[in-house]
Amino acid sequence: MAAAIPRQDMPPTGGYKPIPYKRIPARTYFSGPALIAGYFGITAGSCYLYYLNCLSVHREEIERRSAEFALYPMLLAERDRVYMKQLRVNRDAEEELMKNVPGWEVGTLYGKPVYRNLPKDTLIEPGYVEYYAHANYKDFAKRTNLSRWS
Amino acid sequence: MSLSPFLRSPFTDLTGAMVSHQWYGQCADMELKVMDCLEAYGVDKGRKKCDTLIQDFQECASRKIRNQRIIEMRQERHRQYKAGERSKEDLYVPTIKTNGY
Repeated sequence: MAAAIPRQDMPPTGGYKPIPYKRIPARTYFSGPALIAGYFGITAGSCYLYYLNCLSVHREEIERRSAEFALYPMLLAERDRVYMKQLRVNRDAEEELMKNVPGWEVGTLYGKPVYRNLPKDTLIEPGYVEYYAHANYKDFAKRTNLSRWS
Repeated sequence: MSLSPFLRSPFTDLTGAMVSHQWYGQCADMELKVMDCLEAYGVDKGRKKCDTLIQDFQECASRKIRNQRIIEMRQERHRQYKAGERSKEDLYVPTIKTNGY
């Protein structure tokens, strides 16, 4: 049994190549102080733009608020006008409806007034159901659920 | 004041003033008038003297006459419709605008 002769691995002739251990730094576009200065510069510029934006937003808010203030009395008056008109319609409807009922007077329960001590010309504001007393239930429900539709 | 509860205790003192119409406003004036009147005449005499004031206040608080009025008018309307005196288009009065109230 012939024993194989062991051969030792040896370095290549001329030796190994030198190990590249030299540091290769990334390319720098800006220096540190330039970066910090740029940060502050851009922040200052955007702050100025933000200020301009704030100005315009505030101006628009004032504009809208003034428009609301100008419109509000008119809307209020319109609502009051519709309210008074409806009261008149209700009174006329009651008069027309109960004209054949004996003993009925408009604004009373068979001649019994709602309030006794109030002066005659006091406006007794109707309740919600009373306001819609002569209306279809659909109209009543429409007003009741108005806030859910909007 | 002559308006004290039948059995007075610290609890009635504490809770007596909690519920009143002075918080709500609509009947506050009437309630004050009733209280003034009752305080002036006392309970027994005041019941007669302040009768209309008390009835007004009770009406304002309970709305009995108003609700009875609404019920009577609805019933009359439906009676007329069933009796044929009122057509279907004529049954209800159209509301002028939804957001009037």
